[in-house]
Amino acid sequence: MRRFFSNRRLVIIIVCIIVCIALMNLSVVIRNKRSTPPLIQQFGNDIVGFTDRIVALPVNGLQGTSEAISGLLNTYQENQKLKGQVETLTQTQVRDETLSKENKQLKKELKLNSSLTDYSAVTAAVISRTPSSWQNQVIINKGQASGIKKNMPVLSGAGLVGRISEVNKTNSKVELISDSNDSSNRFAIQVTNKSGQTVNGVINEYDKATNRIVMGNVTSKKKLEKGDKVITSGLGGVTPKGLYVGKVISAGNDDYGLASKVVIKPAGDLSNLSVVTVAVSTN
Amino acid sequence: MLRLSKLRYGFPIGLLLFFFLDGSISQVFSNQMFNYPYTMVSYLVVLWLVLANFFENQISIPLVPWAIAIGVIFDLYYTGIFGVFIFIFPLVILLTRALSRALPNTFLVNFLIYFIDITMVSGLSYLANSTIHLTSLTSSEFLIYSLAPTLAYNLAMFVILYFPIQALFNRLR
Repeated sequence: MRRFFSNRRLVIIIVCIIVCIALMNLSVVIRNKRSTPPLIQQFGNDIVGFTDRIVALPVNGLQGTSEAISGLLNTYQENQKLKGQVETLTQTQVRDETLSKENKQLKKELKLNSSLTDYSAVTAAVISRTPSSWQNQVIINKGQASGIKKNMPVLSGAGLVGRISEVNKTNSKVELISDSNDSSNRFAIQVTNKSGQTVNGVINEYDKATNRIVMGNVTSKKKLEKGDKVITSGLGGVTPKGLYVGKVISAGNDDYGLASKVVIKPAGDLSNLSVVTVAVSTN
Repeated sequence: MLRLSKLRYGFPIGLLLFFFLDGSISQVFSNQMFNYPYTMVSYLVVLWLVLANFFENQISIPLVPWAIAIGVIFDLYYTGIFGVFIFIFPLVILLTRALSRALPNTFLVNFLIYFIDITMVSGLSYLANSTIHLTSLTSSEFLIYSLAPTLAYNLAMFVILYFPIQALFNRLR
C-alpha cells in the first residue's frame, strides 16, 4: 500500500481528480449558459454522428422489421376501429382548413405577421440513445442546418416528449421529459375546461412510476375535470402555442393543501421513439 | 508487434463498432433496458477494451491511449458532460492489467475481473454524476436499481461474447 501511494503517483492521482471535476463543472456550465457547444465539440459530434448512422441503420432496421411483423398481427382490429375515426377526421380536417384560412385573412387585416401559434415541423429520426442510468437522452439526426435551436420542444406521435438540450450542425440531443434534470420538463402549459376557461401553469414534475405529468402550484380556482385537454401556452421562450400535451387525469389539492395539483396523462409515447418532430418556431 | 498484425485495423474498428452498438442497443431495447425503476446500462465498449487486454498476448496494443480517445468520444457524443469516461476507461484498463498480472488467465478469473471492472465503471460514473447533481438516486437505490441490472446485462454479454472475440483475436493476430 505504501509503495502504491508513492509521492509522484499520489500527486498524479490528485491532479487527475481535480482536472476531472473541473472539466465536469465546466461542461455543465457551458451546457446551461451557451446555446451551442464549442465549435470543436460540434465538429467532433458531427463526425461521430455521421459514422453512427452506418451502425445504427441496420440495427434500427431490424427493429422496424420486428415491429412490422407484430403490427401485422393486429391489423384487422385496428383497421375496423380506424375506419370509424377516418370519417370524423375528414370533417375536422375540412373545418380546420377553412378556419386556418380565415385566421390568415384576419391576421393580415390586423397586420400581424406571426403569432405564437406559428411553427414549422421538422421531422427527425432517432439515431441512438445515451447508455446511462441518469440521463434519458436520445440523439436525433437533424441539427442547426435544419433550423433547430436549443430548448425547442420535441414531439413524438401525438404529444410532447422532450426538449432539445444540445445542437450540433447535423445532429442534436433531446432530453426526454422523464429525465431527472430539472430543466428538462419545465414547459408552460394551459388547460382548457369544458366551459372554455383556461388555467395556466408550468409542468414541474414527471412521475416515472406512473408515467404522468404533474402541473403543480396552481392557484386558480377554476374547476378542472378529467379529460380536459392540455396544450402548451407559448408563454416565455421558444415553445410555440398549441402543442398537444395530454389530458387531465385528476385535479386536487397538493400535499400541503394550499395550491392545487393537476395530474396529466401525456399523449406522447416515450417508450417508442424512432421518429420525432421538432417544433421550430418561425418568429 | 502491433505494426505487423491485422489487429492494427481490427482493434479500432471493433472498438468503434461496440461503441455505437451501446447507443443502438439502448435505443432499440429502451423499453426493456430502461423499465422503471430498473436501468440497465450497456458497456460493450468496456467489454471490448478489457477483452483486448486479455487476448493481446505478445502484441501490445496501446490500450490506455485508445481508452482515453474512446472516453472523450463517449463523453462528448453520448452524455455531453466532459470529464467522466475520459478518466474511467483508462482506469479500467490499469485495474484489469494489475489484476490479470497477479491472476491466471482463465475464463472464470477473467469473468470475475470483468465483474469488478463493471462495478467500478458504474460506481465511478454514479459518483461523478452525483457530484454535479445529475442524479438524485441514493447509494442504496443505485445498488439495487442501477448496478445490479447493469451487472447482470454486462456479465451475460461477457459470457456470450468471450469465446467469439477470442476466436476473432486469434484470427486477426
